[in-house]
Amino acid sequence: MSIFSKNSTPDNSEDKIADEQSENYSDAASVEEPVAATMSSYEVARNEAPSRPGISKPSIISEGFTFEGTITSDGVLNIAGTVRGKITAKSVLIDASGQVDGELNSDQLVIKGQLKGEVNCEDLNVGPLAHVDGTISYKYIHIQRGGKVSGKFIKN
Amino acid sequence: MAEVNQLGCLFVGEGVVLKGNFEVPDIASISGVVEGELTAKQILIEATGVVHGKLSGETIDIRGEANEFVSSTRSLIIRSTGKVTGSIHYSEIEIEKGGHLHGDLHNLNPHS
Repeated sequence: MSIFSKNSTPDNSEDKIADEQSENYSDAASVEEPVAATMSSYEVARNEAPSRPGISKPSIISEGFTFEGTITSDGVLNIAGTVRGKITAKSVLIDASGQVDGELNSDQLVIKGQLKGEVNCEDLNVGPLAHVDGTISYKYIHIQRGGKVSGKFIKN
Repeated sequence: MAEVNQLGCLFVGEGVVLKGNFEVPDIASISGVVEGELTAKQILIEATGVVHGKLSGETIDIRGEANEFVSSTRSLIIRSTGKVTGSIHYSEIEIEKGGHLHGDLHNLNPHS
């Protein structure tokens, strides 16, 4: 019943609007316009609701999950699994169980796990259990005691 | 501790320029400029200190500037005002936020 009501209520309301409009306008062609307007405003409201938490919600590569390829994101990316390839994101967190092999571009980068490859970031934070190896270009760096880092470091 | 027992310690005051090779058994505290090789058990480069050349020690704490080569067998700390360029060898490293690091980094015991 609830499934039907979900689908049927907007339809009914549109019908009602259409009915009301058809009462107001005797011309049949002009009726379509307001109906389309109500439809689009309904869709906008629907799209807006999930997109707002989408910005703060991170994309997650879970532990045990291996991804090969290119990841592009405007938001936050949490890696607890393995990624081989190219990553571009605003903020990247490599968890203790996370492994990244490849190229990484991000504004903010926190490494608690393992990273091998070429890194380009603004703000780099390396945790005490992290292993980092490669060419790292950064603006601000913070390495916590115990973090294992090797390779070329370039300050921009 | 160093102030009480200065046996085997080297203090380079601000404005002092030291050139040559130095073997320091205990603490080397650098506020001036050192050009050459410096080996000590513990090396402190103060905010005004600058070293051009080779720096080797057990524990190294850098608030100033170290160029060319740094090797620490125990712990290397680069403070927020610190600036290190060149080849760096360490067994344990810590870099405070704001610290400047430019060069090649090598872990002395990478399999630990």
